[in-house]
Amino acid sequence: MEKFLQYKNVSYFYQTKESEIHALNKIDFSIAEKDFASIVGPSGCGKTTMLSLTAGLLEPSTGEILLKGKKIEKNDSRIGYMFQRDHLFEWRTIWQNIILGLEIQKKHKDEKTLCFADQLLKKYDLYNFKNKKPRQLSGGMRQRVALIRTLVLNPTLLLLDEPFSALDFQTRLNVCDDVYQIIKSEKKTALLVTHDISEALSMSDKIFILSSRPATVRKQLEISFEGDTPLKKREDKNFGKYFELIWRNLS
Amino acid sequence: MKNKQINYSKTHAKYLKKLKTEKLIVIFWQIVVIVGFLGLWELLATTGAIDPFFFSSPSRIVTTIIDLGRSGNLFIHIWTSLYETILGFTIATILGVFIAILLWWSERLRKVMEPYLIVINSLPKIALGPMIILWVGSGVSATIVMCVLICLVITIISMLNAFISCDSDKILLMKSMHANKFQILFKLILPNALPDFISVLKINVGMSWVGTIMGEYLSSKAGLGYLINYGSQMLQLDVVMASIVLLCILAGGMYFIVSPFEKKYKKG
Repeated sequence: MEKFLQYKNVSYFYQTKESEIHALNKIDFSIAEKDFASIVGPSGCGKTTMLSLTAGLLEPSTGEILLKGKKIEKNDSRIGYMFQRDHLFEWRTIWQNIILGLEIQKKHKDEKTLCFADQLLKKYDLYNFKNKKPRQLSGGMRQRVALIRTLVLNPTLLLLDEPFSALDFQTRLNVCDDVYQIIKSEKKTALLVTHDISEALSMSDKIFILSSRPATVRKQLEISFEGDTPLKKREDKNFGKYFELIWRNLS
Repeated sequence: MKNKQINYSKTHAKYLKKLKTEKLIVIFWQIVVIVGFLGLWELLATTGAIDPFFFSSPSRIVTTIIDLGRSGNLFIHIWTSLYETILGFTIATILGVFIAILLWWSERLRKVMEPYLIVINSLPKIALGPMIILWVGSGVSATIVMCVLICLVITIISMLNAFISCDSDKILLMKSMHANKFQILFKLILPNALPDFISVLKINVGMSWVGTIMGEYLSSKAGLGYLINYGSQMLQLDVVMASIVLLCILAGGMYFIVSPFEKKYKKG
């Protein structure tokens, strides 16, 4: 298996006034291209820290993180980040929100990229809302816009930080399905962080279970179901078994 | 209009009618309050229950305004005050936002300046009046400086709060897209603070009039504040009251110029 994203012996300490906190302890793992991997762990174990490290927003205290064999730089442009909330800018239209990253990187006059953005909007049923303001859209649609905003920058690796936690349960299942299918059809590699076991199970090919602080990878699971969408996977007869296995490893 | 109403269901039409009736009732009572107040005042003054020499009366105020208008002085006074207020308001708003941006930009500068901002904010700016007159001379310029001083600090503090209260995840999002600090400022911080800016404008309308009138009390040769001061010293309460009425109209007018912006931008 070719290593696409690789954590090599990564530790991370962060400083507070009172003490130095050992957040991550010698983390070692790797994922392959086009994998959908999830990291689950008890709350406060440093999952979000891992995403920040992977995005290059933080630097590991020891060890290194490689993406396609190349060390991750500060604010690495190969990485797309999706947050817990959609963070769409209310004063911008959907279209203006989508090209925000392009504007920042001065690519908003590039015909090809704009065409790509247009295509994504059409493909994922948002084209008619192009000139609407975010508040006119439902929570699920907003999250889809947020994903497209990340995708137009054509990232090599997508990081998802509990992207559905702000949605109500019903919407959550649907958006989870949508996002999964978008990511799969755009052939992206994704790393999801969540504390929701069933969410991780229904989306991932691979799950890493973290221990509590200082976090290490306690267990690594390869998941395979017959169904090919999160909703169908949830109905699989093995779903419960996996769930139980992860749950036991978490507590 | 009528075509549109056909689409409404009966209950909805009823609801809309109720809303409309409620609005009319409020307007009706607003008129009752002002007419009643003026009527009572006039009645008490003419019957001698209150002394019109000290309390003036609506009719005497109107006559005074007309007299002042005929002599041509009225417009000089109004123009002077309006000029001072608008200039002070504009300078304070622009300068205040600019300083707030600088303080947002440098966290260290912000920490250094924090205690001073707090002290200057709690200082009654009128205390600086005599010094202002010595430094910039009496008259229009002193009034404008007073006006700027009163609006400036509150503008800085309000805008700075708006800037730093911006969601840190939104900043992280901008950073993850490689935005530099200028881009974060212009694409996120400033548009995000627009509703707060509108509130500041509204507060500054009131504050700038306070500054102008205070400045004119201190030293002036023209303006509504001068007129009020002059009127009270000459015991011409009609002049004082007339100036206050004009002040109400001007300040209210300025407020109504600002408020449509609020409706437009606060929705988001």
